[in-house]
Amino acid sequence: MIEKESSRGTEKKGENMISVENLSHYYTQNQVFAVKNVSFQVEKGEIFGFLGPSGAGKSTTQGVLTGLLPLQQGRVRVAGHDLSHPKRTMFNKIGVSFEQSNVYGKLTARENLDFYAKLFDVPTMKTMDLLEMVGLDKVADKKAGTFSKGMKHRLTFVRSMINKPEMWFLDEPTTGLDPAIGSQIKDIIRQENEKGATVFLTTHNMQVADELCDRVAFIIDGEIKLIDSPRNLKLQFGQQMVVVDHLVQGQRKTEQFSLIMDEDKTRLNQLIQTGQIQMMHTKEATLEEIFIKVTGRGLE
Amino acid sequence: MKRIAAIVGRDIRSGIRDWLIVYLSIAPFIIALILRSLIPGVGDSLLSVVVLDQNPLVSSLEQVARVELVSDLESLEQRVLRMDDVFGIVYTRGAYELVVQGNESEHSLGMLETLMARLTNPSSSVPVDIQFSDLGWEMSPLKLYGGIMLMLFTTVFGGMFIVLNLVDEKMHKTLRALNVSPLSRVELVIGKGMLGFLLPLVGCLGAAWIMGFSGIHLGMFFVTLLSIATISIIIGFSIGVMNDEPISAVASMKMVMLPVLLSVFGAMYLADNWHWVLFWSPFYWAYLSMNGILLQQADWFLVLRNSGFILGLTVLVFMGLRKKIVNGLE
Repeated sequence: MIEKESSRGTEKKGENMISVENLSHYYTQNQVFAVKNVSFQVEKGEIFGFLGPSGAGKSTTQGVLTGLLPLQQGRVRVAGHDLSHPKRTMFNKIGVSFEQSNVYGKLTARENLDFYAKLFDVPTMKTMDLLEMVGLDKVADKKAGTFSKGMKHRLTFVRSMINKPEMWFLDEPTTGLDPAIGSQIKDIIRQENEKGATVFLTTHNMQVADELCDRVAFIIDGEIKLIDSPRNLKLQFGQQMVVVDHLVQGQRKTEQFSLIMDEDKTRLNQLIQTGQIQMMHTKEATLEEIFIKVTGRGLE
Repeated sequence: MKRIAAIVGRDIRSGIRDWLIVYLSIAPFIIALILRSLIPGVGDSLLSVVVLDQNPLVSSLEQVARVELVSDLESLEQRVLRMDDVFGIVYTRGAYELVVQGNESEHSLGMLETLMARLTNPSSSVPVDIQFSDLGWEMSPLKLYGGIMLMLFTTVFGGMFIVLNLVDEKMHKTLRALNVSPLSRVELVIGKGMLGFLLPLVGCLGAAWIMGFSGIHLGMFFVTLLSIATISIIIGFSIGVMNDEPISAVASMKMVMLPVLLSVFGAMYLADNWHWVLFWSPFYWAYLSMNGILLQQADWFLVLRNSGFILGLTVLVFMGLRKKIVNGLE
């Protein structure tokens, strides 16, 4: 993760793929805001996680960024396009994968992708290559209506890659997938990111965000509470402690050692050299714990 | 253009896998065939007879009736038994006898009896002067009104194509995927409306041909069909975007049949000075145009005036539903 961050650092050059200034959005005429005065930037080549519980404003923000919702207040630029005057051509650079799979049930997997490819003005990826990526090549000629939920989700996911997007919006890309397929999807996201795709990842799965994201934003009640890298957040909010399980006269004993206090550091060194250590781990905070600490709310 | 073709191609592919759409496509032809079988010989003579081919009265009969020839008595009886009114004439035991099915019109039977009496007995004192009168009917009412209804419903069914395709998109939430592609709203509307536009045109042309409306003015026919198709498309889009599943969409579409039926039957049965109550309905104006075209009495002024009314009313309907349609496509 650290290696990835440092190598990415040379690629970014400060160019923003997404720039959001004072974005607000409401659904009803009484102006109860679903998103309130949100501002953030996503740099080119970054994987940016947008994290929050249901109803926090994640989908509304993504809806505005992908042009599915009109821009009401604020300024938004995506992939060099000003969304106050959106042009359809901007979608040649953008890919969007939806949380709820949305494919044509009466068309086969191959037909679904072939049809979608024809809507773009840019060179598109080969249908079979895409299907192979997510293990759907064997069922390429089966109607998508006969697919399981996970298969439809994978088809929706690869469809969003068909135009080799520079800006890739992913909404809960691993939700509902078994761990092996989920891991495959994460690998694909990493690979595409390494090729240069900027990723805007909307999720409530903190583990996925932790594994993939360079930076994360916590959104709750339509407001961004915090933006930083998972590493910085862990350093900031985690405890600098080590927990050690070791044996003392045949009995298991658990002790905590501060990584700041000299006395604890000396004792820990002695234990490593002379003791019978069974397990040892840092008391690192998870993103979920940090989220709860920052927002005072859980993710469900 | 490439994207419109892609949308049309997808809709065709999806449509042929959906039997309901296939049925809707062939329905105009089947209905036209049924109507055609119910009105054989319309436009020809009103009196039809079948005789054995050596009958000496054939040439005399041909002057006043449509005459069919058969080789034997069994064929003659079979022909008489068919659905339409055809009388058999046979010569037995020194006299001519009429072979009837029993459900023929009394007037036709009486007329034929008088005619046969005159033909077989030239010295008869009964003066026979046969005249056919259509009492104001230029063609069979079944053919005319059946044809008009079929044309109107076929174009309305065009809206049904759009409804079913849009409902399919809404059910599977695929419109969202289209909305994050370079496909413009105009391309989407044209692509989605194309089949609902073209298939009724083909259906109406085919139905007109099957029903024997061969002499109609095709230009006027096209202009009228195009104008009716616009209202069907608006209706198709408005119902399609407001429904998420096909049953409710079809139920809504059925409601559209009501103004069609009201307009046609109103125009048929209301006195002329009451026709103003139908002026709100584009289908009334469509009926007037279609009636004139099928009777070959329409002129361009009538067709363009009525099409203008249809398009004007369509614009009003569209203005009223515009917001719902646009929101529904998002």
